[in-house]
Amino acid sequence: MPRDNEQTGEFTPKILAFCCNWCTYAGADLAGLNRMNYPADVKVLRVPCSGRVNPQYVLKALQSGCDGVLVCGCHPGDCHYSTGNYYAKRRMMIFKRMVEFAGLSPERFQIRWISGSEAGKFRDTVVEVSEQIRALGPMENDAPSRAAIDAVAGTVASPEADEELFAAAKEAI
Amino acid sequence: MADVQDTIRERAAALLSSGEVSAVIGWGAGRFDDVRFPLVVKRAEDAGKLVFDASCVQMTAKRLLEHTGEGKVALVARGCESRAVNRFIADHQLTRDQVYVIGVPCPGMVDPATGETLKRCAECQVRNPVVHDELVGDPVPEPKPYRFAEVDRVEAMSREERRAFFDEMYGKCIRCYACRNACPCCTCRECFVEQDKVGWQGKAFNVNEARYYGMIRAFHTGDRCIECGECERACPMGLPLMVIMHQQVRDIDKLFGPYEGGGLTDSGPDPLRTYKTDDIEEFM
Repeated sequence: MPRDNEQTGEFTPKILAFCCNWCTYAGADLAGLNRMNYPADVKVLRVPCSGRVNPQYVLKALQSGCDGVLVCGCHPGDCHYSTGNYYAKRRMMIFKRMVEFAGLSPERFQIRWISGSEAGKFRDTVVEVSEQIRALGPMENDAPSRAAIDAVAGTVASPEADEELFAAAKEAI
Repeated sequence: MADVQDTIRERAAALLSSGEVSAVIGWGAGRFDDVRFPLVVKRAEDAGKLVFDASCVQMTAKRLLEHTGEGKVALVARGCESRAVNRFIADHQLTRDQVYVIGVPCPGMVDPATGETLKRCAECQVRNPVVHDELVGDPVPEPKPYRFAEVDRVEAMSREERRAFFDEMYGKCIRCYACRNACPCCTCRECFVEQDKVGWQGKAFNVNEARYYGMIRAFHTGDRCIECGECERACPMGLPLMVIMHQQVRDIDKLFGPYEGGGLTDSGPDPLRTYKTDDIEEFM
């Protein structure tokens, strides 16, 4: 996947930003109207509400070539549909903890509340996330090192069974 | 446990001959001494085929859903099955009057392969049935053992080691969907993995697709898990599936108050299907 900048040879990440139609998308629009500069690594995907973002979209994006995912919505209490972002908040809190538990770098999946007037916050968030992910490199860098693989080898599925098999194999020799 | 078994047989025969229930779901003898199968008894004279001893490793509750519409069905229920009944009622799969619960306090089951207590029974929080129409046998003590030891072990690893742990786990997964079929929380008529035309779940056989299946399934059931551990027992590859369930249960418990999803009651909103305006804020 040629993802290095052709001129500089620098790695350019792909970051998917789910932006809620009513706040963050308007905020991003305002950032554009104000001619703010921010890296073009972020691809904005407009959704009706942050509550619309099924956590499986996040995992799918990360598995399908995105190096980071940003989920943005209205501040709690300001949701256009009154409660969507409260549900999103609980869901994302648990899902974020789960994917981090399963070994994802925490920077690759972030959630922010950005209102329609916070163009500056949108720009700052995008710059910040983009810098963090540039530092991490592509998604493939998340793969475990040889040492880590060796450290957990045999501890996953019933080590006793592995040992028994091993003992039986030794006897057979 | 022999007198418990006799009482179960007597009660099953009585319930069937009186016509109060159309079937009794319990366990029957398998081909070997230590193998038991879920058994559905429909005639009173067959009640003697019901067995209850330390080898009843399967959780029979999900068989209930195969017999809805046949009138009232009786279920021989230990702690885990009784919580599954509450789960079904909360998920609108059953109504309470469709099921007659014969509660059996459970001292824990024995893994026929190793002769030790099953892992899920060693971690069991609720041994006595939480809902029952009648109770067979005396209640057993509830030791409430610590059940997050495996979560602690994985959590103590570095990020890369955790990634390696789950790579190995999902690398071994053969995606037979036994965990889903065994799970009392997985009652969707059409599972997301079978929505071929929607296509979120890919068909390729690799660690990423297995991870997608495993993690999304875990998340779908995360706030409703009754912690019966049947997924882990049903897994033909012996994968530690409960580690990711217990991790979510612990987080939900920590963040959103005491975890009630464990089937202790048959009502109350599930933690991820409700909210509070004063939930802690960490995404500013």
